[in-house]
Amino acid sequence: MPKLKIDLEVNNRKISKETDAHKRLLDFLRDDLNLTGTKEGCGAGECGTCSVFVDGKLVKSCLMPVAKASGAKIETIEGLADPGSLTPMQKAFHKTGASQCGYCIPGMVMAATSALRENPKADIEEIKERLGGNICRCTGYTKIFEAVELAKAVIAGDMPEEALNEEEVGKSYIGHNVRRLDAPSKVSGRLRYAADMKMHDMLQMQVLRSPHPHAKIVSIDTSEAEAMDGVVCVITSDDVPEQTDGFGVFVHDQPIMARGKVRHVGEAVAAVAAEDLVIARKALSKIKVVYEELPGVYDPEDAMKKGAAVVHDYAPDNIVKHIPVRKGDVDTGFANADLILEDEFSTQQVEHAYLEPEAGIAYVDADDVVVVISPSQNITHHRHMLSHILGLPINKVRFIMSPVGGGFGGKEDMIYQGMLAVVAMKTHRPVQLNFTREESIIASAKRHPSRTHYKMGLKWNGEITAIQFSMISDGGAYGMSSEGVMRKAAILSCGPYEVHNLSVDTTAVYTNNTPSGAFRTFGGMQAQFATESMMDMAAEALGMDPFEIRRINMMKIGSKTHTQHKLTAASLDRCLDAAETESRWEKGTPNVRGDKRSDLGGDDTRAPCTLGARFTNGKNTNEERVA
Amino acid sequence: MERKLRGRGMAASWYGIARTATIDRAGAWAELDDGGTAKIVTGVTEIGEGILTLLAQVAADELGIKPSEVTIGDNDTARSPEAAHAGATRQTYMIGNSVHLAAREAKKHLFEQLADHWGVEIDSLQSFDGEVWSNDSNLRITMEEAVVICKARGVVPVGSASFTAHGTGLDPVDGSGSPWQTYVFGTQVAEVEVDTYTGEVQVLGIWAVHDVGRAINPRGVEGQIEGGVVQGLGQALMEDYQTVNGHTSTHGFAKYILPTSLDIPQINCTLVEDHDPLSPLGAKGIGEPALVPTAPAIMNAIYDAIGVRMKSLPATPEKILEALNKKTHGREHYVSAAREQRAQAHRG
Repeated sequence: MPKLKIDLEVNNRKISKETDAHKRLLDFLRDDLNLTGTKEGCGAGECGTCSVFVDGKLVKSCLMPVAKASGAKIETIEGLADPGSLTPMQKAFHKTGASQCGYCIPGMVMAATSALRENPKADIEEIKERLGGNICRCTGYTKIFEAVELAKAVIAGDMPEEALNEEEVGKSYIGHNVRRLDAPSKVSGRLRYAADMKMHDMLQMQVLRSPHPHAKIVSIDTSEAEAMDGVVCVITSDDVPEQTDGFGVFVHDQPIMARGKVRHVGEAVAAVAAEDLVIARKALSKIKVVYEELPGVYDPEDAMKKGAAVVHDYAPDNIVKHIPVRKGDVDTGFANADLILEDEFSTQQVEHAYLEPEAGIAYVDADDVVVVISPSQNITHHRHMLSHILGLPINKVRFIMSPVGGGFGGKEDMIYQGMLAVVAMKTHRPVQLNFTREESIIASAKRHPSRTHYKMGLKWNGEITAIQFSMISDGGAYGMSSEGVMRKAAILSCGPYEVHNLSVDTTAVYTNNTPSGAFRTFGGMQAQFATESMMDMAAEALGMDPFEIRRINMMKIGSKTHTQHKLTAASLDRCLDAAETESRWEKGTPNVRGDKRSDLGGDDTRAPCTLGARFTNGKNTNEERVA
Repeated sequence: MERKLRGRGMAASWYGIARTATIDRAGAWAELDDGGTAKIVTGVTEIGEGILTLLAQVAADELGIKPSEVTIGDNDTARSPEAAHAGATRQTYMIGNSVHLAAREAKKHLFEQLADHWGVEIDSLQSFDGEVWSNDSNLRITMEEAVVICKARGVVPVGSASFTAHGTGLDPVDGSGSPWQTYVFGTQVAEVEVDTYTGEVQVLGIWAVHDVGRAINPRGVEGQIEGGVVQGLGQALMEDYQTVNGHTSTHGFAKYILPTSLDIPQINCTLVEDHDPLSPLGAKGIGEPALVPTAPAIMNAIYDAIGVRMKSLPATPEKILEALNKKTHGREHYVSAAREQRAQAHRG
């Protein structure tokens, strides 16, 4: 591998080091200098988790070849404050609760620091623009804005430094805004996520993924890859016991690596463990897989038709799960209705986009325990499944949950931990796998897309008499959480209203698309989007205020839910009242009255944003643009 | 027709707390440790929601020490009791109550020894923020001293607990059942501005009202709501994972568009604290429910602004323009005017 001698200054220390010429500044900081506070989130300059200062300017270190940094002065998150102390900006992030999972936070702190260094008097609009290159998936940015404004005021002397301290406790720690105990480690970049961990003698894994959505695997030849210098082993489904192979949150339909056929683009087919990442990547191209392409199904409704390609033999109709909920008599309910509305709604597939791509380490310890460290959201279940698959007693499999850089349900599936365990058992060496962003996107589950057919009957007084609700979801190639998502969607379907006659069906279907799985709300959002749209359409048709129609139908103490559970507590009345008051809601029928409303604008809204508007009347327009 | 039109919409929602249609359970161990500190061991790791801080608050409040004096180890199937998965809006409810009960038991052992040592009734003992005292006397010591006394009498103050939430399965035919023991409700209002030339929607304000039961850390709850609202906004207006015959066309963040700082509305949170009667803490949860009403509230607001009902998410500028074109005769006029305006801006 070509080498390069690099001289530069990092956090006020002169560094002179030989390194691999292909490295990015990000790799050099993380791998050669162990400065792992700088994170890799996308490797494409889109997310900002790798932000550092190069000669005082904010730069995304994944876009800078290390050779270009020669002679430069670099400042990373670790260099902002002395060990054990925090800058006012970091303290402000701690105070306001601006860090959640923390993975974007080192980059966000760098961007925020840059914003105030560039303009200590930046107003909120300018601060937002200057943070525009950094993605945060957890916080909704609101507490981050608050932190930057607080830091700005303290640095400018407009507020005392004590403003950064924790609030005094009253008579109880319950209900108190205790500052997050994990925040100092996150705002300083000290917290190590799975990809930041290193073990002695550790191998690097890379995964060969399917280029086809549906294909038979005719043969896999790993011999050339295995013969390469530095390759320690190559694994395929042959290395996993066939009888027990299979994982999933509900149905165990997914093999550790594709067995016999691939069912979606990006599915793991083989994995290489090598002395370093470069060798592992090169070895992937030496694995020869012969595929025989199969007809695929890409639409859930097509997949349910007779003669459609079958994704899993055990489910010849391609149905993962159908959940019915019935209550009362819908026919009578519709017969008693004064008004019947019928419509279709759809929602899209959504990516979790946690900033931390999947990563993990496995090793076998001195007591022959197979240990997997990863940001898994469900190590309890993963331990069960892996011990079953590998045929090991449950106490010989140990899962450790590393700090999770965002999950939202997307890290509940055991999509890579099995491969790590198999290599660790085969080699008795620690092994690490870090996904790229692209890998994370094609291999991990998404939010279920949905198509809902909705029929609602109402009386003139707004009372719902019947609902017929039918939702079809593309579950993709594997079952993952589809069953549970369909169940939750069905239970919550008709919203927080007492409906005496209802018929609800939710169905998840196998296709050869990227699998759908658990995602924050687990089907609840898709179903209630349809219901809440229908409620407003009904309100318009009946000439009622949207709060009013909801109050008429809302669940109360003693109401029976859609699954006929009698409620002993219910708070929707309080929520509706508070929302109406707090938003200064002007009552009225939702009949396109936006231009007549008097409740628009005000201190509790933001100004609309027009990109570049800040510069149009300024004197320094050109200067600013060049900078 | 004005170019930029505003409107408001609202949506209500409900959600269940903890695992669905099954019994849920979580275990925890607690020890009042030297120096008046505490160790909590349970199957939990921070996924960003603030659970470590919350559990430290719960343990500290029950034991009578400071949250910063609580140590919580990471989740490890070989070292900690099962508390199951980080999802289903279950951590505050399941693990929070479990830690609360375990801490209560550890404290009971300490109080038994201290009451005997001081010769006072155990019920007279109280502790808070690192101090232990007896209401029947002027006896008052630090928790550090109390642990020394307890251990000198031969007792290590430890506790353990398991918390259960009693959900039941659904009937396979009519779906009847009690899937959760606790439900939460919420309501959100959205205010939007729609640019009828470009189809872009800006969300200017969100009023988010959610029942969270007893709020353990109000600022943390707000953080969850703000994050949920913005994920809901992303789903409502821009995020769209697309595949063509099984191949994704959105393979990175250049193609998969996410909300960034300039997309964020002013988010106004209001917490409704309807304490859960079935658990000692009274808290419920907020992680998932915060997201549920956002997208429909935004769609209802778009309708209020421009009279177009968006039934297919996301409501991208392209879809909004297409819908406006279908709705308004002569819309082509606006589109060409917009094009001319852009061209002029470019020349200028």
